[in-house]
Amino acid sequence: MAQPSQSVTDEVERLKCNWCQGMNLKTALSCQFCGAPLDLADVVSESGWREAPRLKDMTEFHFYNSTCQVEGEIVPVAEINLAQGDGVYFEHHVMLWKDPTVPMSVLQLPGGMKRVLAGMPFIISVAQGPGRVAFSRDATGELVVLPLHPGMELDVREHAFLLASKNVAYSFERIKGLRNILFGGQGMYMDRFVTTNQSGLLILHGYGNVFERTLKPGESILVEPGAFLYKDSTVQMNVQMQQLTTGLFGGTAMSLAQMTGPGRVGIQSMYVHHSTE
Amino acid sequence: MSAAPSAPVSGRTYTCHWCGTVSDGTSLSCPACGATINVKDIVTPTGWIELPGRKDMAKLQIGNSSCQIEGLYVPVADFNLAPGDSVYFAHHVLLWKENSVNVSMMSMKGAWKRAFAGMPIFMTQAAGPGHIAFSRDLPGELLALPLQPGHSVDVREHFLLAATSQVDYGWTNSNIWFTTKNGDETETHYPIGMMLDRFTASKMPGLLLLHASGNVFVRQLNPGQSILIKPTALIFKDPTVSIQLHFEHPNSGWNPWMSYIQRYLWLRVTGPGRIAIQSAFEPVEDNGRNITSHSPATRQNW
Repeated sequence: MAQPSQSVTDEVERLKCNWCQGMNLKTALSCQFCGAPLDLADVVSESGWREAPRLKDMTEFHFYNSTCQVEGEIVPVAEINLAQGDGVYFEHHVMLWKDPTVPMSVLQLPGGMKRVLAGMPFIISVAQGPGRVAFSRDATGELVVLPLHPGMELDVREHAFLLASKNVAYSFERIKGLRNILFGGQGMYMDRFVTTNQSGLLILHGYGNVFERTLKPGESILVEPGAFLYKDSTVQMNVQMQQLTTGLFGGTAMSLAQMTGPGRVGIQSMYVHHSTE
Repeated sequence: MSAAPSAPVSGRTYTCHWCGTVSDGTSLSCPACGATINVKDIVTPTGWIELPGRKDMAKLQIGNSSCQIEGLYVPVADFNLAPGDSVYFAHHVLLWKENSVNVSMMSMKGAWKRAFAGMPIFMTQAAGPGHIAFSRDLPGELLALPLQPGHSVDVREHFLLAATSQVDYGWTNSNIWFTTKNGDETETHYPIGMMLDRFTASKMPGLLLLHASGNVFVRQLNPGQSILIKPTALIFKDPTVSIQLHFEHPNSGWNPWMSYIQRYLWLRVTGPGRIAIQSAFEPVEDNGRNITSHSPATRQNW
């Protein structure tokens, strides 16, 4: 059988990104959808936690007709080059710089009073293309690029998202149970990002290093509540109290978040609650 | 626990420059402390040794248990505890754990003195089998200090991330203090804390994990050799290293009064032994008021 020519092979063969499952040209060094290096093996601990891809400085990836370049490695910047008709939304305090010509507007959010009472951002800003706009947080950490395929639901710790493309629906999910609210360390609500018919892009900023683990159905893990970063909406989260008793002082209790699969769970290794949150 | 490092094979040995453990050198990192093997130590002209590079996911073997160090900015210590093995830690550094790991309280000696000094009076203890992971909330480095039987190390308070149960946890007075007076108000300052944690491997080898802010540098002082460091930069020292306060007053030219009221507060460390410092440290607490009394100290007026 005749071997296919080199050019035909290049067109057919694809490299699958292990992080976002995007298909890339065989010659690509980084994923065109999330920027994850394709020439490096996944870094997974023996206990099953996978490190979020360490995005190389100046890595560029695409969403719709726009591009995002990741700049810096200690406190990375996401610089978006928005095409005409594309847009992203974000909390206004993460905006680092922008072209003067980039139009700005405000996202209309349901449940305004609830959001105010819960300490969630009441105003979400929107930047429309064409033009450049850049975002960063105020702490050492990593960008977590999560391309969302149609029909996905992702719950994110409040104030942890850096930006999302405008076709990702933004809502919030009330944390169920008084004990979960009081001891869960998340507040009353989590951000929920949903894609329906279209794909979208979500970028988070995690403090310190970010790790992800996929839980099987019924599998559970206990996590420091402040370390929770994101989860698939299929993952159940409940607070579990760990009683620590001593004979002399009666003891104390420690609350941990019990995550039960199926689905992905993301955690951050630096879980301090920053004053800017 | 048999904490002896892996035995050298085929006659080849490699001595870790960081912890002194002898291994066969065939791994990428030292099996006792995780330091990268076969890299040149980075030593400054003044003699400070930078903490050896540690590859992401470096694995330390502690008897039947192991510890994997994950991440580079805010590293995580992920223990895989064998049945019967345990570690202790301050409860706020717990990142995640498996359901199978049993967590309980470990009471400490001298609880009232510790509470008075602002030190933790309880440690949390985790027993295997299973995985449990720890991290601090600051960018920095993890220091793995394997302790051989009979060896101790003095650590400034709140640096402990976790230690294996073979390491005894005690304390010693720092004896570094000064008092200032303003009218009737007298204030006592402890620039490195009232006490130092003292970790000792009495009968069996053990592992001590510390977390420091920024980068870590270590220096071996000869007997009688002395240097000045910022008190809040100190991470740990060998018990053989002595410490005392040092006041330095700069030369302010024509105005000797200005020279008197301006001062730099130092910690004088004198060998023999090791000391380690961190590059990110908080400002030294000094309100600039008159010092009325202090622990043994030296002084320099320029």
